[in-house]
Amino acid sequence: MGWTMKKTALLGCVGLLIVLAVVAVIVVAAGSRGYNKLNTLSNDVDGKWANVQAQYQRRNDLLPNLVSTVSGAANFEKSTLTDVINARASATKVTIDPSHAPTDPAQLDAYQKAQGAVSSSLSRLLVSVEKYPELSATKGFRDLQAQIEGTENRIAVSRNDFNGSTQAYNTARNAFPTVLYASFVGMKEKPFFKADDAAQSAPKVDFGGFGTTPAPAPAHP
Amino acid sequence: MHKGSSRWWCRSLSLSGLVLLLALSGSLRAAEVIPEVPTRYFNDYALTVKPETADRLNRELEDHERQTSNQLRVAIYPKMHSESDIDDYCQRVARAWKVGEKEQRNGAVLFVFVQDHKMSIQVGYGLEGALPDATCKDIIADQIAPHFKAGDYDGGLTAGVESMMQAAKGEYKGSGQTEYQRQHPVGSSAGNGNGGLSIGTIIFIILVFFIISRAFRRRGGTMFSGGGGPIFFPTSFGGGGGFGGFGGGGGRGSSGGGGSSDGGGFASSGGGDFGGGGASGDW
Repeated sequence: MGWTMKKTALLGCVGLLIVLAVVAVIVVAAGSRGYNKLNTLSNDVDGKWANVQAQYQRRNDLLPNLVSTVSGAANFEKSTLTDVINARASATKVTIDPSHAPTDPAQLDAYQKAQGAVSSSLSRLLVSVEKYPELSATKGFRDLQAQIEGTENRIAVSRNDFNGSTQAYNTARNAFPTVLYASFVGMKEKPFFKADDAAQSAPKVDFGGFGTTPAPAPAHP
Repeated sequence: MHKGSSRWWCRSLSLSGLVLLLALSGSLRAAEVIPEVPTRYFNDYALTVKPETADRLNRELEDHERQTSNQLRVAIYPKMHSESDIDDYCQRVARAWKVGEKEQRNGAVLFVFVQDHKMSIQVGYGLEGALPDATCKDIIADQIAPHFKAGDYDGGLTAGVESMMQAAKGEYKGSGQTEYQRQHPVGSSAGNGNGGLSIGTIIFIILVFFIISRAFRRRGGTMFSGGGGPIFFPTSFGGGGGFGGFGGGGGRGSSGGGGSSDGGGFASSGGGDFGGGGASGDW
């Protein structure tokens, strides 16, 4: 009698263990698949972030050229020029590792603010150049302005791509089974660029068509 | 209680406001039209240039793809259907079209919006070196705009297309084939489209032939005896010959298809991508 009771208890225990093991295997398998997918998405965000940084860097590299071209013009207002120089200098201080997308929203915020200051000072500079036709008509300046326009467009595109990729990552991360263990394995929600207060992303540096479009009023959202 | 209900009102009001806002933003976005992928190299949807010019430029752009593998397109529309800035919009369109090869991403599109007096060159990632922004600006401002200002669209587009090809030349080497030819090999296009159709028609013809010949034979059997068969058979064969004529028509269609994949000027995109390179301008 005692023997059989012990036997069934043992069998029950073994059965329970088997069930638990199976469940564990399933959970681990599903979890690792989810983790792999999340990892892929995270890498994509990193890649898009690298492109964002590259485009901002490209603009940064163009600015000294622009400054030297413009400062060569006779009696050019120095204040707009120094604004650009200062904004560039403080933007270069706000650095984020280009190979890893930021994880801290405050960090990205600071970066966006610093680059936004460059954008708005730059667009003010380019607007004031319009008053110096002997400068704005030169081939050198026109080439530069084409490059700056193109860079602003590239920045806008890369930021959009980055936001899209981040959104895909965050959606996957916050979906049901993943959300349970994501923070446990260090997969945090990632910050993205906020919709801009007007001038920030691509300041509409409208060089040519001054007569056709009313001057953009970027200050008031 | 009263307080709670007023809060409820507040919340539902703000909620409905949000819904309205969302709907509005949706409709704003809906105002933008991404046109369909053009099927040719030179696409004049606004009918601004002479057909000869369009054909010539189309051929030149096709040759350019054969020689360099660069996929250059021209798309001329009456108006821009978007609230966005022209650069943003054209970048989105070019990206949606995927002009350029997948690996090289060597596509470029010249957009012209005739009534808006605006144009834009969008350059795929792989051609940004050959067609830098400043070059695009030069092409627009120096090659195209002066002609457009004088009302000479043929001249402006010819100059623009030629200088784009000139700049993009030498970046990559072509395979002598276009993307369209790769995607529509001559053999498979005959097997898939026209060949399949002609098999269908052949079956149809045989069926009709059977029905008709049966009907004739029955009639022949009742109206004429004996001699009816030999007389009616040739006529029903004649009917078959008539259908053979239809088959011939099908054959002509298929040879037309073959002609197009040899060089009828059709263009296919290869999976290229655009990141905002290029320039825009007006006239």
